[in-house]
Amino acid sequence: MTAPVSETATQALQEDAPIEKPPRGAPWWANQRIGLLVLVVLLGVLFGILRPAFYNQQLVIFPLLRDIAMFTVVGLAQLCVLSIGHMNLAVGRMAAFSMMLTGISYDLFHLTLYSGLLVGLVAGTAIGALAGWVIARTGVNSFVVTLALDFLLLGLIPLVYTGLTDNAAFVTKPPGMRELRNYSLADVCVGNVCGSPAVPQLALFAVVAMAVVGWIYARTRLGRELLMTGSSVKAAELSGIPTARRVITAHAMSGCLAALAGFMLAVSTGSIKATIGEEFMLPSFLGPILGGTLLAGGFVSIWGTLIGTALTSVIRKGLDLLGVGLESLNIYLGLILLVALSTDRVRTVLSERQEVRRQ
Amino acid sequence: MTVVLRRTALCLAAVALVATGCTTKPADSASGGAPKDDASTGTSAGPVTLKDGSQVKLALIPGGAHPYFQPWKTVAAVDKADFKLGDATFNETGEWDQGKQNNVINSLAAQGYNAFGIFGVSPTDINSTFEDLKAKGFAVGSLASCPAGDTNAADFCLSTDVEAAAYKAAKATIEAIGGEGAIVHLTGNNVDSNTQRRIAGVKKAIAETNGKVTELPVITDIDKDLSTAQKAVADLLASKGKEIKGIVTTAYNPAVAAADGVASSKLPIKVVAIDDDAKILSGIKSGGVAATVTQNPTGQAYIGGWLLALLQSKQCTMKTPGVIVDSGSFVVTKTNVDTYDEERKAKTTALKTEFEKQLSCQ
Repeated sequence: MTAPVSETATQALQEDAPIEKPPRGAPWWANQRIGLLVLVVLLGVLFGILRPAFYNQQLVIFPLLRDIAMFTVVGLAQLCVLSIGHMNLAVGRMAAFSMMLTGISYDLFHLTLYSGLLVGLVAGTAIGALAGWVIARTGVNSFVVTLALDFLLLGLIPLVYTGLTDNAAFVTKPPGMRELRNYSLADVCVGNVCGSPAVPQLALFAVVAMAVVGWIYARTRLGRELLMTGSSVKAAELSGIPTARRVITAHAMSGCLAALAGFMLAVSTGSIKATIGEEFMLPSFLGPILGGTLLAGGFVSIWGTLIGTALTSVIRKGLDLLGVGLESLNIYLGLILLVALSTDRVRTVLSERQEVRRQ
Repeated sequence: MTVVLRRTALCLAAVALVATGCTTKPADSASGGAPKDDASTGTSAGPVTLKDGSQVKLALIPGGAHPYFQPWKTVAAVDKADFKLGDATFNETGEWDQGKQNNVINSLAAQGYNAFGIFGVSPTDINSTFEDLKAKGFAVGSLASCPAGDTNAADFCLSTDVEAAAYKAAKATIEAIGGEGAIVHLTGNNVDSNTQRRIAGVKKAIAETNGKVTELPVITDIDKDLSTAQKAVADLLASKGKEIKGIVTTAYNPAVAAADGVASSKLPIKVVAIDDDAKILSGIKSGGVAATVTQNPTGQAYIGGWLLALLQSKQCTMKTPGVIVDSGSFVVTKTNVDTYDEERKAKTTALKTEFEKQLSCQ
């Protein structure tokens, strides 16, 4: 029964490209993520010198960390499918679909905040698993399947919203939603000592997501099987890994994380609307790829996703504070990213030369 | 290598934690929050003149770049000069995303801007943004669009009544086609509550014809850019051009595309546009466009800036916080194309008088 599925899955997974992993024995400064981390810190210092308001806890750091947390979860959603060499072009629309069901659960069934979140996570997992199942069953490329799913949801979601709401949004706010948007760790106290007012409570969702995804890839058999499927489907199959099931699992994880990111966006902006997730697709690739996750699969970096996301968010926030106009903002953003990646390449080349000299 | 990275990350996390700092619980948590308003409760009677705007830094923030908001850029400078404000700026980097717009607002607040005239990207979300700003003691006006629903958390909303403007546009279209035939409505983002209001306004006008005028399915989501609108108009004219007698547009790009498309196809379709782009005005003069419904962006920014300065300087408070005022919409045809701006300026003056009655001033 499973053999045909495995064969088609094998065909679907033939998206391999040469895998370039960090050379073994390279010096610590050649590590891409450390380089990015240094860059984020340097940019933070630079923007702080140019505009001391950059360190304003309430108006700059708090919303910046909230954004970084949300886009890190978006990045993790893409990372899960990148780990098997796939991509999920419907990551934003999966968030919108899941939040639509969460919105319905709040509006029509008056569920609590976290029960509604659970509905969304289940819906996200289900729609992700469906995408994975179609890919595994038909052997069609993940790019095509998720693109088709994106179009399907693009048509379906507005239909439901216009049918069920007056303003194309679910505006019911369950108790706790407003607090979750505004509360920081300063509202979490042990005795008289409270946390930092600059760290939003919403960021804890990203910490939990990073911990869980990190644990799966670093400590469990499932994670190793996913990475092995991404490295080489044939080798994975010969090792007895049920690759078709792993494809479904990776896409289900992606859908679940997309739903979590959609929830974080809905909480931070104020309502659940049809356009949730429209801005997710590019950042979902940017964070993981900048952080070292391979497009071809087989290697992921959870910390790298956080740092890559932080880099783009810090640059944007800094440019905002410097008052860079709309025309120039994206040019500077692109230029800084280009310099960052070029520096990274220079660093890798220098480290390789050092290795050659040693030998 | 991984160990090094983890250690570095943990060290940085610890540094970040120390940098952002722990706090101690205040003796009375409930005593924080927004600064108290020190304006007197006296009622204004007659013209209100701003006494001292030097401490007011005004920010006019549209949802993103759009031709409609370009007058705001000029008016921000006029506000600064006329009311002797500390500063005034115009920032259109929101890129039509509520999250990005919130970031822009927070960045401006961090730089000392304390009075905000905002066109919210998402009418269903913008009240949360207004609540945040009000809690921090800033004056906030909702300009050019009001929040969805019955509540406006800003100090006031000065906006075109979009349903009324769409109704006027549809009535002008019905009149232009002689009171019978099929018309089609071209508009913007379907999942925007303002679009839903525009659709309702057009349907209301059509319903009043008792079936003499029929409406083809509404064409939405074509205000992203001009080429999207041009393609939609070309498809529409190719497929149904012969059965359509009128086109009513309630968004900028569809209006320009419809005016161009109908002119080049030479079909006898009457187009009623929105706003006063130079192309549309020349279309009205040449007869290619039957009418347009213009709005009052200059009045919104000028009166909004004056009002925000009065509120932030604590000279005045709103008698009814969250009051909604229509900034006006004006039907322009060949007969008044050269004089409609006078009508608009008169409306702006009237708006000031109307708001003076809404204020309690020292």
